[in-house]
Amino acid sequence: MADLDQEPVIGIDLGTTNSVVATVIDGVPRVIQGRAGQLLTPSIVALAKNGKRLVGSIAKRQAITNAENTVYAAKRLIGRRWGSKEVEDARRILPYQLVPGPEGHDVRIRLGERAFAVPEVSAMVLAELKADAEGFFGRRVHKAVVTVPAYFNDGQRQATKDAGRIAGLEVLRIINEPTSAALAYGFGKQMEKKVVVFDLGGGTFDVSILDIGRSVYDVVAVGGDTYLGGEDFDRRVMDSLTFAFARENGGIDLRADKMALQRLKDAAEKAKIELSSAPSASISLPFLAGGGEGGRPALHLEKQLTREQLEELTADLVDRCIQVVEKTLRDAGVRPKEVGDVILVGGQTRMPRVQRAVRDFFGREPSRGVHPEEVVALGAAIQAQTLAYPEKGQTEVLLLDVTPQNLGIMVVGGYFETVIPRNTTVPTSSSRIFTTVQDNQTAVRIAVLQGEKEKAIENELLGEFVLDGLRAAPRGEVEVDVTFDISADGIVGVSARDLQTGLRQSITVTATSGLTEEELKRIVEENMDDALEKKQGVSDFDRRRDKVEAMMKDIEALVPSVSEALARSRFGKDAVHKAVAVIQRVRAALASRDLAALSASEEQLDRTLQLFRSLATGARPPEEPR
Amino acid sequence: MSGDRYRGFTFLPVDLAEEVELPLEVKKEVLFTHARLAELTHWKLLDVPWNAPVEQVQNAYREKVKVFHTDRWGTRGLGSFKARMEAVFRRLTEARDVLVDPVRREGYVLETAPPQERARLQLHKLDDERRAAERRARVARQNPMVKRVAQGQEVVARAKLAMSEGRWKQAMNDFETAAGVDPRNRDEWKRLAEEARRKFAVSRAAEEYERGLKAELAGQPATALELLRRAADLDPQNGHIAAATSRAARAAGALDAARESAERAVHLAPREAESHLQLAEVLHALGLGREAKKAVEKALELDPAHAGAKDLARKLRWTLF
Repeated sequence: MADLDQEPVIGIDLGTTNSVVATVIDGVPRVIQGRAGQLLTPSIVALAKNGKRLVGSIAKRQAITNAENTVYAAKRLIGRRWGSKEVEDARRILPYQLVPGPEGHDVRIRLGERAFAVPEVSAMVLAELKADAEGFFGRRVHKAVVTVPAYFNDGQRQATKDAGRIAGLEVLRIINEPTSAALAYGFGKQMEKKVVVFDLGGGTFDVSILDIGRSVYDVVAVGGDTYLGGEDFDRRVMDSLTFAFARENGGIDLRADKMALQRLKDAAEKAKIELSSAPSASISLPFLAGGGEGGRPALHLEKQLTREQLEELTADLVDRCIQVVEKTLRDAGVRPKEVGDVILVGGQTRMPRVQRAVRDFFGREPSRGVHPEEVVALGAAIQAQTLAYPEKGQTEVLLLDVTPQNLGIMVVGGYFETVIPRNTTVPTSSSRIFTTVQDNQTAVRIAVLQGEKEKAIENELLGEFVLDGLRAAPRGEVEVDVTFDISADGIVGVSARDLQTGLRQSITVTATSGLTEEELKRIVEENMDDALEKKQGVSDFDRRRDKVEAMMKDIEALVPSVSEALARSRFGKDAVHKAVAVIQRVRAALASRDLAALSASEEQLDRTLQLFRSLATGARPPEEPR
Repeated sequence: MSGDRYRGFTFLPVDLAEEVELPLEVKKEVLFTHARLAELTHWKLLDVPWNAPVEQVQNAYREKVKVFHTDRWGTRGLGSFKARMEAVFRRLTEARDVLVDPVRREGYVLETAPPQERARLQLHKLDDERRAAERRARVARQNPMVKRVAQGQEVVARAKLAMSEGRWKQAMNDFETAAGVDPRNRDEWKRLAEEARRKFAVSRAAEEYERGLKAELAGQPATALELLRRAADLDPQNGHIAAATSRAARAAGALDAARESAERAVHLAPREAESHLQLAEVLHALGLGREAKKAVEKALELDPAHAGAKDLARKLRWTLF
């Protein structure tokens, strides 16, 4: 690829258990390997005993011995309100400590001395992936598309976007994981059909139905369960093991021992994965309990688990998936036999029982053409490329996604009134007219919610909007037109206008989950300070890198005028080719962090720049009056 | 996008001059389409002929959104064109949604039809409806199952009407018939038939009661007793009827029967002074002064102004002294 002019962009699949980063090179999407050579980065952040912050595999490796300061599955908490059912459930099973935020609305995670907002923790994972990409390109990366489950609500999307900002990324777009998978699946193919994406990841389950044609990916309906995923399968195995262990060892409850629990979790996951290819798996955890002081004998766990047993333990989870699929098809008005292809996404779809259930339901084999763990990130990379460089034409695709849940407001009697129904194509907007109910009322409070329930309080509260500064007038006389819109990111906005005067009203948003704008700014600034501090102590290499990058930029900017000058000249035809060769050498040196090669090319680069400058200034037409 | 397309449309220089990163052709198309959104039908907006098939609509939509969706122009500065493009996109999506949904499409096709087409369509529609009705009738004649269901529906409709108008007997009979021909909902029709039967009995009882009271006033205790007994059989839960029966039985000299009916009245309508008075009267007639006094006190407690009760109380006081 003529990489000269193009700042690289990336797509990130920020998963519950693992995350992946990808990009498009020469028109081909590919996964970027981490600096340690891995394709999947565990979405785990830890604070080591020595106070160091760890991210990814290295954090996962020490999880057993440091369970209380190892954060996994943060995605289950992102954008959730403190006190919500989801958070209460998570508090019971997670080994790390959750505390309410300063306003009491959002969730904070305690790591050592500090309590981090969930987006801050996710940002650490994103920053790690960004660093991997920068290592790969040998230059800075700023722009990314990040994926979320289709069923994420506004709060969860907003919080994910915040995480990107904290990590120093400009999030071009938040896209839905199943849509992203469909994009990667259809990429480069001429396709005219209906496709179902069955995405069973680590923590969430998503179904999307798309109608694909003429490079337009039109989502017809989405459904899902944000609390159903591979980790629930692990938990079933864990529970059965703890129960059997208690029965055999006089009622010892392993759940009281965080280290034992972490070992069990790892073993359960390993056994589950093994059972996708083998009929049985053995679980062996020596010295799981007892021993040490107290003089009790050490106890070991030795168990065989068969595929049938696993399927029995998790049968209802698979059933739940199929029920969601059924409902989503009904919403879309699509019959199972009209579906042209079924794409399986997410590691849990490797389980034979899951594949069988999908096959039985649709009466066809699911597609095997995609890699379930990588496909989401690849789609995000394609979308990032399309948004950043639409004129390239090499990735001409258009995503039309829908809003997953009804958006509405609370009306008299505490009922929920839908303003924008679910499965509406985004971006979209809708208006409602509000009137005052008291004389001289100057403010109206509007609660905006997302969900499917009839009673307002049973839905997710996105925020309360206060319309103030209304004209003082008798009741019913002031009419305010309130417009609700949903962006292509799936993020909700509200604006209001006084109908009689045409005046726009100011709107105050009280965020109920996630960070306030000031807090976010503070965190972003702190991170910048961190980065600046690091700059003080940057290596010779980094300083040189910044310098050569600036020079390359200058050279690239001069290319058009130089070419023009050379076209009218008899010599120096190969100057541009030479320059490209030099730049390629510099990039290679940057990618391999080879300081010697970099110093050598720096000189050549400098000479090229001087040459280009003189050529460009001499390129003025000679007949110009002077 | 030929030159003709924009004939008669004036582009404001200020709009065309706005510095946005869109090709001139696209700028023109956005300004032109956005300005005419209100007047364009869904068909015109999508550039398809009236009543174009769903597939053609879908393809036209896809080609259009590739022009008007802001994503197609990436993260560029689109200035005031952004809002215009979003408005066009929403309208395009609405047009597509209407024209691919069979139900919404039908109405829209008719609404936007050229005059001669509209007449033809309406005729067509009437024709379709008539044919469908004929088909149903034919099937009903041939298929005994369908016939039964159709009959059942008819009968149920008639029964419900009768029920709402208070023609209980008719409703009862029709629900019974429905239960016979519509086995799927048999329990439901049986339940309704039973309800109709009960209401029928209550209304009959009310008639007999009225007649019984008249006979009583006319000084025909035997007839009155006969009528009131019938009313009590029809509506055994009615305390007023029981009390009146007791009174009539006592007048006819059947004291045991009178006592039974009075006790029944007290049981069914314990808050009615009349129930207690009738019990007191029959107890008094049976010579059970103490019990009679207790009953009459109860009657006066419920209704201190009850003339009959006051009389009896006075009488009882006299006898006891």
